[in-house]
Amino acid sequence: MNQDIDFDAILSKYRSDPFDYVHIHTRHTGRVRFKVTEGAQVKGAGGEWHHLPGSLLFVLYRERNPKPIYSSTFGEVSALRRELEGNFVEANEKVMTIKHPLTKREIIESILRKVLSNFNAPERAKYFFAMDIQARIDKFGPRAVTIQPGDEVFTMSLMKRDIPVYYSGEPGIIHSIYFKPGISVGHGEPLIGVCPPGRLPFIQKIISRVKAEWE
Amino acid sequence: MKEKVLIANRGEIALRIMNACTDLGLDYVVVYTEEDADSEHVRRSLDHQPHGKRAFRVASYTDPNDILAVADHAECTAIHPGYGFFSEDFRFARRVTVRDRPLTFIGPNWEVIKDLGDKINTKRVANSLSIPTIPGTDGPIYNEMEAEEYAEQLMADQKAQKIKNPSILVKAAAGGGGMGIEEVREVEQFRRVYRQVQNYAKRQFGDGGVLIEQCLRDYNHLEVQLVCSRHGERIHFGTRNCTIQSTGRQKRLEAAPGFDESCFAYVFNAQEVLDRIVDYSLKLAAHVRYDNVGTWEWIITRDGQPYLLEVNTRIQVENDVSARISHIDGQHPNLIREQIRLALGDRIGYSQSGIEFKGSSIEFRIIAEDTHRGFAPWIGTINQFDFPKHDWLAVYTHVPFDRPYVIPSEYDPNLALAIVWGDSMAEAKARGRQLLREITIAGENVAGAPISTNIPYLEAHLDKLLTF
Repeated sequence: MNQDIDFDAILSKYRSDPFDYVHIHTRHTGRVRFKVTEGAQVKGAGGEWHHLPGSLLFVLYRERNPKPIYSSTFGEVSALRRELEGNFVEANEKVMTIKHPLTKREIIESILRKVLSNFNAPERAKYFFAMDIQARIDKFGPRAVTIQPGDEVFTMSLMKRDIPVYYSGEPGIIHSIYFKPGISVGHGEPLIGVCPPGRLPFIQKIISRVKAEWE
Repeated sequence: MKEKVLIANRGEIALRIMNACTDLGLDYVVVYTEEDADSEHVRRSLDHQPHGKRAFRVASYTDPNDILAVADHAECTAIHPGYGFFSEDFRFARRVTVRDRPLTFIGPNWEVIKDLGDKINTKRVANSLSIPTIPGTDGPIYNEMEAEEYAEQLMADQKAQKIKNPSILVKAAAGGGGMGIEEVREVEQFRRVYRQVQNYAKRQFGDGGVLIEQCLRDYNHLEVQLVCSRHGERIHFGTRNCTIQSTGRQKRLEAAPGFDESCFAYVFNAQEVLDRIVDYSLKLAAHVRYDNVGTWEWIITRDGQPYLLEVNTRIQVENDVSARISHIDGQHPNLIREQIRLALGDRIGYSQSGIEFKGSSIEFRIIAEDTHRGFAPWIGTINQFDFPKHDWLAVYTHVPFDRPYVIPSEYDPNLALAIVWGDSMAEAKARGRQLLREITIAGENVAGAPISTNIPYLEAHLDKLLTF
């Protein structure tokens, strides 16, 4: 791992376009009624435990079962497919885009993805932490859990079969978790970012630098 | 009003239902998930086709709100659940039929599914009618201590009966299709296996209940195909034998009739046993007023003792195996067509004596899997796929023949069902061997490794059909 990272190049990329463009898709079918207009400012989930829903974006109407869809991020509605208003939409139809200003934490996470040792999904499948790892994460938090090559770290749920997945890579702590249990992860996408003990100061340096330089 | 059917399933069964609807002159729509966009059942139903848009994307095949929203939007009047997914879910069947805009559920009445779709309740009802069932729990267990006590008792009972190598099965109560079943040979292993199955059950089915049963060895697994109407008519389409299964108890080879003297020297009167399980199945069907197609699953021990395993309150993958040995006015019936017709209120229109059973049939499930590594699913892209054409062969597949197809990892890697038939079991086996040699299949995974299929396994097991 090259530890001579070009901070200026990376930060200038984020300075020139400090936004993420979040495309909102319908997660379900139904008749859509928009609750925002183009240019509207929306907020994401709030509260100490993210228990307060974000702005109401639209509602999908089905028989006695309207499905409100809230924004999970803050930003501005930069595009909206008004022609769909009142019409039936299928699942996974793109309906709007939110221009989301990146936060310091998001930029750090994005950079860390490039410098941590990522352990990638061996197949497109659903992943869960192995029972023992999950118990340790629940008790001590992920960054207190060290993993070694050969450890059973995940259970891969593939075609209704549970298959153990063994870690291969540098030993280290689970620094970042990139998957959600039970949600499909594509082949080759990172599941976790592992930080070898010797690289912790370097990671800390990145975090400090971004914190200091990013307004 | 003309009936319009929503097909709430995928793969080859969706295609078979589409064809059955067409045969009956019914309109239909299909639903699909993003992962299945390249499946043949979707490609044939997209809006560039002459009949207009018939395919609607949903979040999942198990999201009832999505499916019903499509049914309402497309003005469907009935829902066909196929097999798996919602086919044996009485809550779904009830919701479909009891709503502001009621639809016909193509399957048994929801109350019948409630009675028999749940294998625990089936066991209780069967016991009340003196129909033999496998020794074990007749309800789900959630408590580890209670489960262990039961396991110890079952092991002790087997030892008392001097059964060689006694063992028990731990099953996910909400499971099906052979998934979530583990064997325990030593009581000391029980807790570990119990936790493993419970965890699996919670994750896959949302219910951690388990069943514990005596594990029977040296048996055959048979099925009785029934067809019943909403007018109290009940007939059968004979028996099938599905003993050859993967390690995960998924069927791989299935034949009809259930036993054949040319395959094995049974120590019991095979025809008598087959007649007995048909009679038991009809007795249970009459008791619960069964009113659509269904399969009664049986375990037959080497000495000819039958035990009712469960009832599949739906059309089964293998329905056509029965149809290919049955003749009505000289024609093979189409049981999916019969199912739809009867669910829409028709009478059967013929009697048991009008069905002639003749010859033998065998079904091959062609699957992308490594049979040497515990039937591990193979994932990759199929580049070439083709079957021969014979008048003794039917092939059902959702895999296209004219373009590459990526097997979606979200679902089982089933590629095709191929059914052969002949005047005798020997002829059916010979035709089966010919078929397996004539299949063209090529593909590779992300690492560039060639496709693994179970074709060599199917060929190697043909001679084991209907044997103990």
